[in-house]
Amino acid sequence: MSDLYSEVVRGSVTVWVFFSTLPLGKEVHILMASAIKIDGLTKKYIDVWQKQEVIAVNDLNLDVQEGEIFGFLGRNGAGKTTTIKMLLGLIFPTGGDATILGKPMGDNSVKQSLAYLPEETYFYDSMTGWDLIDYYGRLFKIPQPERARRVQQCLEKVRLQPDAWRRAVRGYSKGMRQRIGIAQALINDPKLLFLDEPTSGLDPIAHAELRDIVGSLKDEGKTVFLSSHQLADVELICSRIAIIHKGKLLTTGTIKELVEGERTEIVAQGSALHNGVFAKLKSIVPSVSIEGEDRVRLISTSAEEINAVIDLVRGAQGQIVAVVPQKRTLEDVFVETIRREEGEI
Amino acid sequence: MIPLAIANQTVREAMRRRVMWIFLISGLFLIAMGPVFGFLSPKDSQTVLRSLGLAAILLAGLFITIVTCIYLIPVEIERRTIYTVLSKPVQRYQFVLGKFLGGFATVFINIAAMGIVFLVLIYTQEHKVPMDMLLGVVMTFFQMLLLAALSIFFSTFTTPVVNFFLSFGVFMVGNLSSVTDSLASNPNPLVSNAGKIVHYLLPNFGNFNIQNSIIHPTIEIKNQEVFMMQNIIYAIVYSLVLLTLAVLIFDRREV
Repeated sequence: MSDLYSEVVRGSVTVWVFFSTLPLGKEVHILMASAIKIDGLTKKYIDVWQKQEVIAVNDLNLDVQEGEIFGFLGRNGAGKTTTIKMLLGLIFPTGGDATILGKPMGDNSVKQSLAYLPEETYFYDSMTGWDLIDYYGRLFKIPQPERARRVQQCLEKVRLQPDAWRRAVRGYSKGMRQRIGIAQALINDPKLLFLDEPTSGLDPIAHAELRDIVGSLKDEGKTVFLSSHQLADVELICSRIAIIHKGKLLTTGTIKELVEGERTEIVAQGSALHNGVFAKLKSIVPSVSIEGEDRVRLISTSAEEINAVIDLVRGAQGQIVAVVPQKRTLEDVFVETIRREEGEI
Repeated sequence: MIPLAIANQTVREAMRRRVMWIFLISGLFLIAMGPVFGFLSPKDSQTVLRSLGLAAILLAGLFITIVTCIYLIPVEIERRTIYTVLSKPVQRYQFVLGKFLGGFATVFINIAAMGIVFLVLIYTQEHKVPMDMLLGVVMTFFQMLLLAALSIFFSTFTTPVVNFFLSFGVFMVGNLSSVTDSLASNPNPLVSNAGKIVHYLLPNFGNFNIQNSIIHPTIEIKNQEVFMMQNIIYAIVYSLVLLTLAVLIFDRREV
């Protein structure tokens, strides 16, 4: 009996030790940790000629989770690159704060785990592709032969043809330069990558390949902060996005949340519709397009609007021809968000 | 290690610049023309050879140093390559130091190339090792060290064009140390103070021109070793001060 008792105790202890060593809780914690936490980041310039203050980034708050590809969207001059440069310590904020991988932005030690691909970089074009990546490897103090191994690995990962490895970068095409740019960003096996327009100006094949390479980084557990105008790419590979306009954050959320807003197209027709009904419809939904004398197409964004439109049309002896729920693209969301901010809609 | 990696890359980029090769080839050409000019004035052929050779090294070295160093940092900013460097674990002082070492190594290679050609040429004429000329080349080398540090310092806050005129201007004024010294002792307090400021603040490039005493043996330096050592230490200390100031400015600069 005592043997049985001791076996049970030993077994219980073993089970307890086994479960207590499982990193389940830690895993959950790691997945939820912030890779980038931006708190009220602000950058103001003084325009000495105009004698006025220019706000490049205005009280920006963001939280990018580890392991996600985060799309950072905005028009040219919206403040995207300024934000990235502040986070990397290349320029200095005039207000607010941020942490990157748990350390203050600009901290040199955290740069061991960071990577940055600037938009339209020239690189040192007299160097060969191999030497260029090797040079960046030396800046991380990666010793040989590990450095040579990583250089080869990075060049292979970005699918740069081996015959180009020993050629000077000045002879590279735009696509090859972008590949070498991503390769330099991968040399330190970073946890967090800042990519500024990595797929702009490329031919469709190179575009698709580089987009896939960026997308595959998520599978390796890396966090990517992606600034891009290629909204189709962003929609495809990003889990969450933020839209910034004139330095101000307009919206942030998952792609799903943003594109799945209620939008329904309603088509109505009837000979009596033109008798002042159009004006009433416009007061219910902002987007009304009149097609001919007796047909109208509307976009409503809520159930209340749909019901009000139907009531009005039927009350005017008109017919509802179609009620079609519409899925928005990220481009729709982007354009709509910017236009709304500009007061155009 | 990081400054050396940056320096190595800087030398490779700098050695590609055609304008640097033009100055180097011009310098070598002038040195090679020494025996020809010496032939035209047979009484002073050795003086002409030496004078022309050292002047060629100084002039070519001056332009090579300025055109190399004024661009090192601005080009990195203009081409945005600095983003890929400073976003890596590279401190700004390491970047400035690496750029300086690279620029200085480029200048060293060029002066060494001209110096070797010059000394070999004299050796073929005189059949003995011209130690005094070797010292002249060494002093030019340290003079250019100081000028390189000055150009790097200016490049942290000015454009290359402004830097060119600033570096060149300071070099010229710094070579007129005897003039600024005499201005410092002028009875007019305004002139005297201005002269003192210029004399003590600007680097004294004139003290490195010992070739005058080599070429003109009547001008005697009492203790040449001490004089040279003082100037070498002066060049190193002044360069360190300039580099420290460059780092302090660049540390606050937005790129």
